[in-house]
Amino acid sequence: MDSWYKFKRVFLSVGVPPTFWLVAFFLVPLALIWVFSFGEKTGVVGIDITWTIDNYIRAFNPDILKIFAKSLWLAIAATVICLFVGLPVALGIVYAPSKWKGLLLLGIMLPFWTNLLIRTYALIAVLRTRGYVNFTLEWFDAKIRVLFDLFGMGGIATALLGERFQALELLYNDNAVILGLVYVHLPFMVLPLYAALERLDRSYLEASLDLGAGHLRTLWNVVVPLALPGIISGIIITFIPALGSFLTPDLLGGPDSAMIATIIERQFKSANDWPFGSALSFLLMYITFGALALRAVMAKRGGSDGLEG
Amino acid sequence: MARRSLFGKDPAGPLDYLRKWPLLTVMAATFIFLYVPLLTLMAYSFNDSRRNIVWRGFTTDYYGKLFNNTDLMIAFGNSLTIALFSTIFSLVLGAMVAILLWRFKFPLKPLYEGTMALPIVIPEICMGVAMLAFFARIGWPNDLIWPINLANIIIAHISFTFPFVAVIIRARLAGFNREQEEAARDLGAGDWEVYRDVIIPHMKPGLVAGGLLAFTLSLDDFVITFFTSGPETVTFPVKVYSMVRFSVTPEVNAASTVLIVITVLLTAIGLWLQNKGTAKK
Amino acid sequence: MSNKIRNGLTRRSMLQASIAGAGAAWAGISFGPKAFADEEAKVNFYNWDTYIGETTLGDFENLTGVEANMSLFADNDELFAKLREGNPGFDVIVPSDTYVARMLAADMLEPLDYSLIPNTKNLNPLFTDAAYDPGRKHSVTYMWGTMGLGVRKSATDGITSWKDVFESDKYAGRIAILSESTAMIGMASMYLGTGMNPTSQADIDAAVDLLIKQKPAFKAIAEDNGQDLLASGEVDVTIEWSGDIGQVMLEDDDIDYVIPKEGSLIWADNLCIPKGAPHPMNAHKFINYILDAQAGALIADYIQYATPNQAARALLNDSYNKNPSVFPPDEVLAKCEWQIYQGEEISRMKDEAWTRFLAA
Repeated sequence: MDSWYKFKRVFLSVGVPPTFWLVAFFLVPLALIWVFSFGEKTGVVGIDITWTIDNYIRAFNPDILKIFAKSLWLAIAATVICLFVGLPVALGIVYAPSKWKGLLLLGIMLPFWTNLLIRTYALIAVLRTRGYVNFTLEWFDAKIRVLFDLFGMGGIATALLGERFQALELLYNDNAVILGLVYVHLPFMVLPLYAALERLDRSYLEASLDLGAGHLRTLWNVVVPLALPGIISGIIITFIPALGSFLTPDLLGGPDSAMIATIIERQFKSANDWPFGSALSFLLMYITFGALALRAVMAKRGGSDGLEG
Repeated sequence: MARRSLFGKDPAGPLDYLRKWPLLTVMAATFIFLYVPLLTLMAYSFNDSRRNIVWRGFTTDYYGKLFNNTDLMIAFGNSLTIALFSTIFSLVLGAMVAILLWRFKFPLKPLYEGTMALPIVIPEICMGVAMLAFFARIGWPNDLIWPINLANIIIAHISFTFPFVAVIIRARLAGFNREQEEAARDLGAGDWEVYRDVIIPHMKPGLVAGGLLAFTLSLDDFVITFFTSGPETVTFPVKVYSMVRFSVTPEVNAASTVLIVITVLLTAIGLWLQNKGTAKK
Repeated sequence: MSNKIRNGLTRRSMLQASIAGAGAAWAGISFGPKAFADEEAKVNFYNWDTYIGETTLGDFENLTGVEANMSLFADNDELFAKLREGNPGFDVIVPSDTYVARMLAADMLEPLDYSLIPNTKNLNPLFTDAAYDPGRKHSVTYMWGTMGLGVRKSATDGITSWKDVFESDKYAGRIAILSESTAMIGMASMYLGTGMNPTSQADIDAAVDLLIKQKPAFKAIAEDNGQDLLASGEVDVTIEWSGDIGQVMLEDDDIDYVIPKEGSLIWADNLCIPKGAPHPMNAHKFINYILDAQAGALIADYIQYATPNQAARALLNDSYNKNPSVFPPDEVLAKCEWQIYQGEEISRMKDEAWTRFLAA
């Protein structure tokens, strides 16, 4: 890592444009909302900036904390599944023949060029009580019964499968939300993993395999450490948006699956309470910001950027 | 290109993961998981019913309706334009941030890094409202002509996509071997040559992945776009969201199907051109 | 005469703009000069989806030469959020009753000039005044309806009371409610006998406690897609808007629309002109056209909502006019209540109560 003053010209030319952009078109708008979070509503649309912290205090209400804990759990579960699915997929793409690589990468991305809401509705059509998953199961169920009946063992089939086919309840519960979050956020995990693994030196793997380590051990001892920067990036850009989802829990979840972003969204819309919505958003951001800063500090302490492979 | 010969018709080598069944199974399952809903959606675009609940027979009526729906076509054009511009800008800005954070030590770096991550962290609705308030308060004109009237949407999109791009490119840069750079310098390359000939080529997979992500995020964004769009600047997601809020009609499915087919075609052409290019080399 | 009005509107809007702050000031500066000159032949209509006749916009354009450009919003909250920082260029909007009241409280609506809307003569006299817009200075009713239960006839046995939804496990796991906090609290409160618009914390709490107790019986809190859940067999009972159930009834004979005996909610969507509208003259022209008998009949026939337009109804047949899900019998309507905009304090009480329901 270079010191900035040794390469001032390069430092400034790569540093100034994005910093300017971030300040002008993100931090300034954000500051507006930040100021709102210390405001009080006056009338219908008025916001009086009184520098009160009431909005923040309101957020520490047991109902909201409970919903926040639930959101954390759903987002963590989805991120972990994304990681376990995303890693082999990224590995598969990296080691695919080069003419397939682009195709596979696009294959992962393509569904995401279809609108999120439409995709979620399509997922509903597949998972609902009278959807394709249940139709398929019912078809197998019927075939098995016929098979058993053929051998005069219909009783066993009934004992095993119940009187009649019971459709699985795949929607309107927490599992559906997790599944939906995985469906929506998978490429956010695959892309950074792919970018990180693409550089992986195959000689390390060959060495590990030559030395008699199995594929799983090689994966764990060689691939995972090498891919760590990608894994961390992937976790960050999967977990954080997942934590902030509201469409997925609203459409796929049951009455108990509300997530924190649902509450935030309501403050900006039906509740028409921008100061409170701003305070909630900022609390969410402070928490994530804190975690990210902690990571950066730890990376610094861990020698010369220990995380960067 | 040497790599490709590894994967000729020879028996599966130790690294030919794609031919090992556990990996193959995970990949196949992932693709089924990703595509079954899409295929359902495409099938329902031919359903002769106003909603996609029950199959009521085959029709192509909705495609006819779709092509007469100029609003939807305009919205689609707007979306593509916005996605294209914001992808280009966020690639440039994201790459700069990635180099900055990867390359340099500077005071308050953790703070800078955290601030850069804010657009990823911020709840979409909060950013949407912030943009709405911002553009209203600075008096952004909303009677400009196309495509300049899309500028505020593009600006908002760049603001939330380029940090994503930066995260991806940075992960890629972490694997850069500084010896390569030193070798280039020993051969007489200056600062700019090092970037142009060594670092940027190394970033390429990161740029591709980052570009794909930026394009996707922009093309699919509803919340932030909703708050920055006006009567003349409706995008495809904004249009579609208001259309499907009540129920998904086959017309929406048809629109998505057309979108998918166009994407597949464009991608196929792109890949074909690229392959042709590399073959010539 | 029309010139006078035009200038009047503009001067007023500029005055308001300078008070309302920088955001709105832009509207004054950029649109002001344009309105003094002849208006651009255009009207920006901000509407709900599937809420206009198939040919209405084209017909209007052919008749007047004014291009009608429609954009869509998905719910009142979106409409309100989008306009509260200043009008980005819409001329005619369609807020529901309570939102007309809220927008009036926030001074977001332009008064209508009825001399430019002679077709108001076609309206049912019942709609010439409204509690949410006293004297109807700022709004005319576009469509109205009720909220009630969509039920699958073969899976239920004649639901007549909210009891089956709010206080019984008869249909447990087969009920969907709507993600409309104020309306749901209102319905529960109505069942408890405290009316659609509870004002005290105790009444609101009682209604929410009832909902919390019944929560295990609810399968989903639908995002305005309850009719899809019902049509796909996911639930057998759903609270929904009348028109949404009416649309699925056309495709499925086994579905019915019921207003429970305790009564329900009645609502109306209204045509309004937001402050800062760039084309106020065309906006009036457009509203007048919608209220025309022929145009109104085409719209009502296509969207199957209840129109307040008497002249349009006269042109339509019995399958529309006598459809009980569109026009419930008078004795049922008599028990229905309007939601009232009760100010921001009570809105907040209800929102917090709804958060309690979601967290429970």
